[in-house]
Amino acid sequence: MLALDLLLQGIVQGAIYALIALGLTLIYGLLRILHVAHAALFTLGGYIGVIVTNQTGSLAFALVVSMVLVGVLGILIYRVAYKPLLGKSPLVALIASIGLFIAFEEGFRIVFGSYGLSFEDPPLRTQVDLGGGLLISHSRLLIVGMAVVILSILAWLSTRTRTGIAWKATVTDPQIASSFGINIERVRYLNFFIGSALAAAAGVMVVLLTNLVEPTMGAVASYKALAIIVLGGLGSVRGTLVAALAIGIVESFGTVYIGHILDRDALAFAFLVVALMVRPQGLFKAD
Amino acid sequence: MFKVSKLFAAAVLGAFAFAVSTIGQADAIKVGFNVPLTGFAAADGKSARIGAELAVEQVNAAGGINGRNLELVIYDDQASPKESAPLAAKLITQDEVVAGISGSYSGATRAAATIYQENGTPYISAYAVHPDITRSGEYVFRTSFMGEVQGRAGAKLVGEMMGKKRVSIITLANDFGKSLEAGFKEKAGEYGIEILGEYDYSIKDREFGPIVSKVKAESPDAIYASGYFFTAGPLVTQLREAGVAVPIIGQEGYDGEMFIKIAGDAAEGVIITTSLDRDSKDPLAQAFITGFQAKSGYPADMVSASTHTAVLVLAEALKQVDPNDKAALRQAIASTSINAATGNISFNKLGEVKKSVQVQVVRDGGWHHYAVISDPILLAPPEE
Repeated sequence: MLALDLLLQGIVQGAIYALIALGLTLIYGLLRILHVAHAALFTLGGYIGVIVTNQTGSLAFALVVSMVLVGVLGILIYRVAYKPLLGKSPLVALIASIGLFIAFEEGFRIVFGSYGLSFEDPPLRTQVDLGGGLLISHSRLLIVGMAVVILSILAWLSTRTRTGIAWKATVTDPQIASSFGINIERVRYLNFFIGSALAAAAGVMVVLLTNLVEPTMGAVASYKALAIIVLGGLGSVRGTLVAALAIGIVESFGTVYIGHILDRDALAFAFLVVALMVRPQGLFKAD
Repeated sequence: MFKVSKLFAAAVLGAFAFAVSTIGQADAIKVGFNVPLTGFAAADGKSARIGAELAVEQVNAAGGINGRNLELVIYDDQASPKESAPLAAKLITQDEVVAGISGSYSGATRAAATIYQENGTPYISAYAVHPDITRSGEYVFRTSFMGEVQGRAGAKLVGEMMGKKRVSIITLANDFGKSLEAGFKEKAGEYGIEILGEYDYSIKDREFGPIVSKVKAESPDAIYASGYFFTAGPLVTQLREAGVAVPIIGQEGYDGEMFIKIAGDAAEGVIITTSLDRDSKDPLAQAFITGFQAKSGYPADMVSASTHTAVLVLAEALKQVDPNDKAALRQAIASTSINAATGNISFNKLGEVKKSVQVQVVRDGGWHHYAVISDPILLAPPEE
């Protein structure tokens, strides 16, 4: 029973990691940029989610607003920060990204204050019985459900629609895709929009669990998501999903049984090291 | 001609203003104050600064130090040792303060304590908990509890006063949490407490799903959980959300309005060991509590109360000696025996405070009196 409960907690955590890391892997797959500032968008998503929920009383509305606003900001970041650097070494974009991340953190502190914000009336606190005495809160159920729905929609988009196929073609070979009349720039905008919106959704989900969004909320996410996409095989969507779930579950059991030896982050990275020793290329080949 | 006279008037006026200001400055007794006003600890820094300023205002309103005003020289140390050490040197050599007070965390306070000790200048740590701070030397004092002391009080509270014998421990894995855990476990056996499980988390953790599941499976009578408001708020929220209804016992890291704001309804009934009794009838504590609320716009917390206390300790010592005789000042602080917002204060030979532990509970969205623990043997801080 406890094992099943811990597995469930691991899946909840994995679902959040998946939503954060997916945007990162999409952007890396398309542009070869390690978008560290992605984690700041995750934090911003949490802030908007809390503020709009507190103002309107509707979590669903807040989630949509948060995803759209952060998605648009993602496009802006690409347009203003990354696009001018595309011809340069990827290191330049990485440094720009780290700078952006720090600027965002300090910006949150100035705008929203250093204390952090909470839901005035935390939503979805009640519990559901999954049968056999396995209880889970509605918020955790929503997180897993949301992740499954969002990722299914994404899978459908990328394999069944013209936009999705154009996207995959651009990832594989931008030049040939372009010669077939695909507007590469549009694909990149779409990519940043979707990736950033997913991070925003993850931000709202995390605040549902913790009821606290702080300026530094993205700090752990920034490097954990990098570890996950490396483990997944840089640029592989499938790999990222599997890696996110695996790390979520390893952390869940690890914090309880060996947490006094290795803390949660150390566990995740120890797992990463061991996994890469066995499979240096990551779990999956890039799509 | 007109121009010249105007210039002359300005010069006279300027000289006059300068003269007045230097008279004021020469008269005031300067005390160094390092505090995190920016960075991750800025929230506590704000409370600390207001608590210290309130104490200075109260001392000066009551006649100052034998007629001379007390003045704080305040620097932002960002809770960083890299900032606090040079600031300590600057306060001692350039600002020529008679003593220093730390309104900061352990790292910054330890680094500054070494500098104060080397320069033979008294230094009082208001609420930093690391054991090595007072071990810097005889010039360094502390007005807050060490973790071990509070941990021992926690064991008495849980095992004897509340009668809860089966306990799960959740520990913040830093010097604060670990020393609390050590103190609690040291006395647990004495009060008949059986420890069902021990779990560590890092200061970055906000999601406690797995630990909550495991603790729930143990079904303890009570949970002893260390942390700061930004970890304890999410932890208590998640414990209650999972249906864990047993008492949760925390410490002064929870103390303040932010914990209640984050945990909301889940905060109700949470009990902590701390330094400030909100419902105190003592006029000095009451003056502090109402004065702080008026000055800051939010209720007093442990950090502000401890900083307020540290300033009062120094002010009382300054009244007894020539403020420029630092050795005499150190001696006066060492033999302190005063009543402050956090209780009756005196120090042991290491410079650790001896005072009662206040037990507070969250009721109707605010901190309230639950009990007091004043067992001098149980609460004796280390002597070396």
